[in-house]
Amino acid sequence: MDIRKPNVTILQPTSGADRVRSEQSKPVAEFSRPLLLSPGQDLLGYVTGHLGRGTLFVITLVSVLAVFLIFWFVIREAIPFLKGESLGQTIARLTEFLTGKNWYPEAHVHPEFGALPAIVGSVYVTAVALVLSVPVGLLCALFLSDMAPFSIRQAIKPVIEILAAIPSVAYGFFAIIVVAPWLQHTFGFSTGANALNAAMILAIMAVPTIISVAEDSLSAIGREIREASYALGATRAETLLKVVIPAAHSGIIAAIILGMMRAIGETMVVWMAAGMASQIPSPWWDLSQSVRPMTATIAQEMGETARGTVHYYALFAIGCVLLIFTFGMNLISEHFMARIHRREGGR
Amino acid sequence: MMLRMLFDKLFTGSAAGSVGLLCLLLIVVLGPMVWRGMGAVVFRETVEFRKMQHAIFGRGSQAEILRETEQVDGLRKPIYDTFDSFAQGIDVDKQLDRVREIYREYGDSLRQRNTPADEFTQLRSTAKTIRDRLTEALETVDQSEAISLTLQVLEMEINFAGEPQLAEFFEIARRYKKTVEGIDPGHRQEYAELLREVRDAMNTLFGPRPDQPKPPLAEHQFGATRWDLVQRDVRFLLYDEQWVQETPGQPLQKKLIPRKQQFAGTELEGWFDQIELDLKSLFRPRLRIYWQYFFDDSTPGHFFGGVGPEILGTLLLTLLAMVVAIPLGIISAAYLVEYGGDTFIIRIIRTCINTLAGVPSIVFGLFGLAFFVILFGRPCILAAAMTLALLVLPVIIRASEEAIRAVPSTYKEASLSLGAGRFRTFMTVILPAAMPGILTGIILSLSRAAGETAPILFTGAVFLGPMPRSLLDSTRALPYGVHGIATGDKVGMTMPHQQYGMVMALIVLVLLLNFLAIGIRWRVSKKLRGY
Repeated sequence: MDIRKPNVTILQPTSGADRVRSEQSKPVAEFSRPLLLSPGQDLLGYVTGHLGRGTLFVITLVSVLAVFLIFWFVIREAIPFLKGESLGQTIARLTEFLTGKNWYPEAHVHPEFGALPAIVGSVYVTAVALVLSVPVGLLCALFLSDMAPFSIRQAIKPVIEILAAIPSVAYGFFAIIVVAPWLQHTFGFSTGANALNAAMILAIMAVPTIISVAEDSLSAIGREIREASYALGATRAETLLKVVIPAAHSGIIAAIILGMMRAIGETMVVWMAAGMASQIPSPWWDLSQSVRPMTATIAQEMGETARGTVHYYALFAIGCVLLIFTFGMNLISEHFMARIHRREGGR
Repeated sequence: MMLRMLFDKLFTGSAAGSVGLLCLLLIVVLGPMVWRGMGAVVFRETVEFRKMQHAIFGRGSQAEILRETEQVDGLRKPIYDTFDSFAQGIDVDKQLDRVREIYREYGDSLRQRNTPADEFTQLRSTAKTIRDRLTEALETVDQSEAISLTLQVLEMEINFAGEPQLAEFFEIARRYKKTVEGIDPGHRQEYAELLREVRDAMNTLFGPRPDQPKPPLAEHQFGATRWDLVQRDVRFLLYDEQWVQETPGQPLQKKLIPRKQQFAGTELEGWFDQIELDLKSLFRPRLRIYWQYFFDDSTPGHFFGGVGPEILGTLLLTLLAMVVAIPLGIISAAYLVEYGGDTFIIRIIRTCINTLAGVPSIVFGLFGLAFFVILFGRPCILAAAMTLALLVLPVIIRASEEAIRAVPSTYKEASLSLGAGRFRTFMTVILPAAMPGILTGIILSLSRAAGETAPILFTGAVFLGPMPRSLLDSTRALPYGVHGIATGDKVGMTMPHQQYGMVMALIVLVLLLNFLAIGIRWRVSKKLRGY
């Protein structure tokens, strides 16, 4: 805000310049041209200024355009799958898609498109990943914001950054080449490529996101509130758990949602490590079963599908579900982020 | 009070513990991949590796390689010969056919020589006796009977000294006697089976035999090219790996049975020890730093060679994406900082940027397939690069925006007060001051684009294929290659170092970019603190 204030006055040429002129009875130094020009005096500058601003605006709109194009094209390719002859048929198809348990898209006689196992698979591995990553991520964020001295913080930051920077396919490689045989040997699972493996790796990938967002919001809570708590005789754990975390809860929720988005949108790890079995785990707590989340389904089958077939449109429909899912979560996280910013602005 | 303090300590401990866990995870994740990946570059090469390098990449001097091949083949020949003669010995069907043929030929030659009738009958009946004895000896499954029968045949040799056609009878008999003395003819079939395994193992270890035609696939043309592969593959030659169930109901257990024991008593027995002893002279291992790994093309399936085309493709995709995304990103950031208030439109733009940042990468891939691939007519580098550009656009915008905002407003005010226009102020004062921050963001998004797989899956990446000739061709790329090589089981079984090498190349590329970014930021922050 304060950055902009000076030029706002400068850029209002007519009134501002007149006022400056009238206040100064005699110019201090001689300029070859007036310090500020009215649009009439400097038509070219005025026009180019606005044109430039317009150009910048149009270029900025590219990201908006990109979002709209993404939504438009993904939804457009999904519509032929869902559209039936009548409304009732459309609803029936949508119901089959969202609640059907059988995914046999290439069956000759009666192809079935039940995406429920994929949706459940996505939610399942994401949930397990969050259970593993949220405590670790929050504890790390607390350690970095409230416990670690500056030098340790400086040393830990690159570690988190590198964890975040490792490509997802490298995590997938690690999962299938290193973790899967280890799981199979150690726990005697029938296959090492299962929900537990994928969830563990997703947890590692989500932790850096959670840490960085949560730490930002924890640091944004001022010293005063902590000092007040310490002054009342609270220990550090009590201060953090009962004062700091409640104060920073919107940022922490945003951190968890962002971590969740990272996990649910991740493709390579689940494609390689989740085992690619289109099934709903039963019993539900059995993590050693293979699943096939939405992203993996798309990645696996899109390469082998002809453009324009029902299967192709069905995969776009799954993409659509994924897009709507993440879009919704994004809006929620933005709502919480906006709350932090409002508080920061108000403070 | 004690309880509260204890809880406090526990809490602090667990927080520090989770940070420690994170560091440990980093080592556990990166350690094996980088360490074993280095094995693709630094290893002990064998003579087979030098042969392969010469045949595929034209490296090394021909004379040197020929000399070495000759020496090694000279050592290998006796092994092959012994195994061949043993194989002939137990291949009874072939010998039976040969015996009958010799008898027929002998009869024909007698007739051609116009032998008198009574002599003819006598000679032929003796030859017939020999043939029958030999056939019997070959067919019987009893060891002592086979030996005595061959002895009977050999006793008759003196009578036929003048008959060159029959000399082969006795040769067969002598060889078979030797074989039969070593093995029980009842287990002939089992020996043949074992011998086939041994020969397969020899083929993977030594490569195809020099006297046999070259296999069509490059992966079969050479033996074990690395010392670690030699040591792995020689185990299949020296030991028989069997899965046996020792107690019912329990999983099968792996058991190694020495081949020496399986071939005990035969002429082959000694050779297994001999091979183990001579392994070094058979392969001549030497330390090699195969830095060309990062530039070499590979044979189909990545059995030999390096990751050159993959690295080139990745760089091409990433740089092309950056050429599009950097100007768009910086201009957008400049607009958002310079003109962006809290208006409705700006808020929409920000929401869109956040949404773009949150779109799953596979959905970018779908979009690229439905839009760019149609636009350019086929999956190609351009389509994949555009998809990646959209993916990193929000990252660049955010980083640049932050960097531009971090420039102290006094800079700008000073410039404006000197009479510089807005554009000039931005270009000459704000942008240079924000440049290190923007650069950091750009490098980080570069590393992000280099590592992304899902957006390029359907839009222009292939696992195997020729080098691209134009931007409208598809290309190989490191991330997709890593996926392909990790899930393709054959190369993982035979050449694990190629798997790890590829992922190491990707990680090293990405981490180098990240270290560069961290370095730039560190220098800038040091400079800022210095003021």
